[in-house]
Amino acid sequence: MAVGTGILRVPREAKKGEVVRVQMVITHPMTPPRKDPQTGQEVPAYSLTKLELFFNDKPVSTVSMGAGVSANPFMAFTLRAEESGVVKIVYEDNKGGKWERTAEIRVS
Amino acid sequence: MDRRRFFALSAFAVVGLTLAPALQPAFGATKLEEEVQKRLGVQLSQIKEVEDIKLTAPTIAESGANVPITVESTIPVDRVERLWIFVDKNPVPWIADVSFTPMNGQVFFSTRIKMGETSNVRAILKLKDGSYVMATREVKVTAGGCG
Repeated sequence: MAVGTGILRVPREAKKGEVVRVQMVITHPMTPPRKDPQTGQEVPAYSLTKLELFFNDKPVSTVSMGAGVSANPFMAFTLRAEESGVVKIVYEDNKGGKWERTAEIRVS
Repeated sequence: MDRRRFFALSAFAVVGLTLAPALQPAFGATKLEEEVQKRLGVQLSQIKEVEDIKLTAPTIAESGANVPITVESTIPVDRVERLWIFVDKNPVPWIADVSFTPMNGQVFFSTRIKMGETSNVRAILKLKDGSYVMATREVKVTAGGCG
């Protein structure tokens, strides 16, 4: 899969005030900076740096990360669902890639 | 050099070589302490461990490239500002940091991390009143994951 592809999963329905879990998996190599063993050249890092979680465009959580996070990162958060709305996750890497994923929650 | 002096000298050299690595950690701060000082602005020794942070991690990791960890806490989320995750012996001890808002509902974060070798994993929480609390767990790694 292409780098930056992400799957965002939230429950489709929730009760008002319920704490729901937001889970995300992103395709990304997350390589640290290193020396190539064959050529001895420095290979720069390639990893995600920042991930933000929004609910109805209000910021909820921000994650800063380095190459210490595993390849194809998995992240899970909790979110208190007070109203129906859109969960949005925006993430970017150190080579200028920027992506976003959205999912809807219906609150009864 | 006669035989006797040669043996005496070589014995001395062997003792010296064995002791040298053991002495090394006495010089300066470790990488982890430096990193904590840089990112949090406080000394690691000033952060106290508390019971109400639950750090879930495997006791023995199958692969160091993919260690699942979960941080949960019973501390109300509106008293918590930020979470840091560190691995003591990684080349870069800092893994990630997460900010929380009351909209999170509770303190919860789960991810998968890389570990180079057997060491401690730390979750450090910064509370709104400016204090820091920590939870530590040791994870044994049989196959490293940092290259």
